[in-house]
Amino acid sequence: MAYSDKVVDHYNNPRNVGSLPKDDPNVGTGLVGAPECGDVMKLQMKINPETQVIEEAKFKTFGCGSAIASSSLATEWVKGKTVSEALSIKNTDIVRELSLPPVKIHCSVLAEDAIKAAIRNWKTKHGVEAAAEEKVAH
Amino acid sequence: MSATRTASMSPLICWSCRERALGPHFCSNCGKIQQLPRDVDYFAFFGLPRKLWIEGAELEKKFLQLSWQLHPDNFVHATEREKDLSLERSSQLNDAYRTLREPVSRVEYLLAIEGARKEGEQKQQAPPELLEEVFGLNESLDELREAKAGGGDLSALKTRLEAAENNFQEKLAEVDEQLQGIAREWDAALDNNVENVARNKLMARMNDLLNRRSYIRNLVRNVAAELTG
Ligand code: FES
Repeated sequence: MAYSDKVVDHYNNPRNVGSLPKDDPNVGTGLVGAPECGDVMKLQMKINPETQVIEEAKFKTFGCGSAIASSSLATEWVKGKTVSEALSIKNTDIVRELSLPPVKIHCSVLAEDAIKAAIRNWKTKHGVEAAAEEKVAH
Repeated sequence: MSATRTASMSPLICWSCRERALGPHFCSNCGKIQQLPRDVDYFAFFGLPRKLWIEGAELEKKFLQLSWQLHPDNFVHATEREKDLSLERSSQLNDAYRTLREPVSRVEYLLAIEGARKEGEQKQQAPPELLEEVFGLNESLDELREAKAGGGDLSALKTRLEAAENNFQEKLAEVDEQLQGIAREWDAALDNNVENVARNKLMARMNDLLNRRSYIRNLVRNVAAELTG
C-alpha cells in the first residue's frame, strides 16, 4: 500500500520519540493497543498543573507506519495545548491530515485513545484537581 | 438471526425445472447445480449447525465430496449458467473450508456472522498488564536489533528473549485452551437452546480472548524472527 507523503515524512523523521519519567507526578502515560493487528503505542506528556498546558510530549510505537505517523503527529499537536484542547483532538483530524485510507483508520484511533489515556493517567495522579475541575464543569 | 439455524435453508425454486430444490447445492428434483442463496453462511454450506466443535476428518470428507461434485470439469458440456455456478461454488467452497478448518478462524467467523465482532469497531482494550508486557518485550527486541547492529554482546539479551518466547508460547497455548473451553460451552448452549443473553456473554468472552491472542501471536512472531534472523 502506498503511504501518503506526510506519513512517509513522519515515519522517516518521527518527532518526539522517546520517553518521560513515568513516576513524575506531572507526567501522564497512555499505553494502548490495537487488537486488530496486535500493535502497541505509548504516549506520554508532561503537563503543568498550574496552567494545564502540555509542555512536553513523547511517544514510542511498535506498529505500522500509519500508527507511527499518527502518534508522531499527535505529540506535535498536543504540545503547547491545554488539557481540554488536547482532549478535543479526534482521530478523524489525524486521518484527514495524513490522508489515511480506510483500512488504516484504526491506527489513528490508537493515537486518539493514547492521548485520552495519558490525560486520564495524569488526572488520576492529580486526583484532587480532577475532581475539582469536574465540579466546575457541571 | 438465530444461531441454531442449520443448513435447512428455506427451499428455493430450482431455476431449471421450476420445482422446489431441496438440497443446498443441487436440485433434489432435476439434479441441476443451484444458485447459492445470499444468506448462506459457511456452516450451512457444509450442512453444519453453527457449532464450534467440528471433526476435522468429517469436514475434510465433506469438502472432498463437494469439491468433486461442484468441480468445473463436470460441467464442460453444461450450459454457460451452470459453468458459472460451478466456478462460483468451487471458489466459495475453498473459502468455506479454509475458514472452518482452523479452530481460531472458525471462532472469528462465527462471531462475525453472529454480529459480535465487527472490523474497526473494537473498543475493548486489552488488560493493562498484557500491554505492559507486550511493550516491554518489544523494547527488548529493539535493544537486540541495536546490539546486533553495533556488534555488542548478544548472549544475555538472547537468553532473555528466549525466555520471553517460551513464556509467550505458553500464553498462546493457554489462550487457545480457554478458547476451546468456551467453544464447548457455546455448543452446549446451542444444544440446550439457551437464551440470547447467555450466548452473547459467551461471544463477548471469545472476543476478548481473540484480542488477547492477536497481541501474543504478533509478539511470538516478532521474537522468533529476531532470534533466527
Ligand atoms: S496496522 Fe496496527 S496500528 Fe496500524
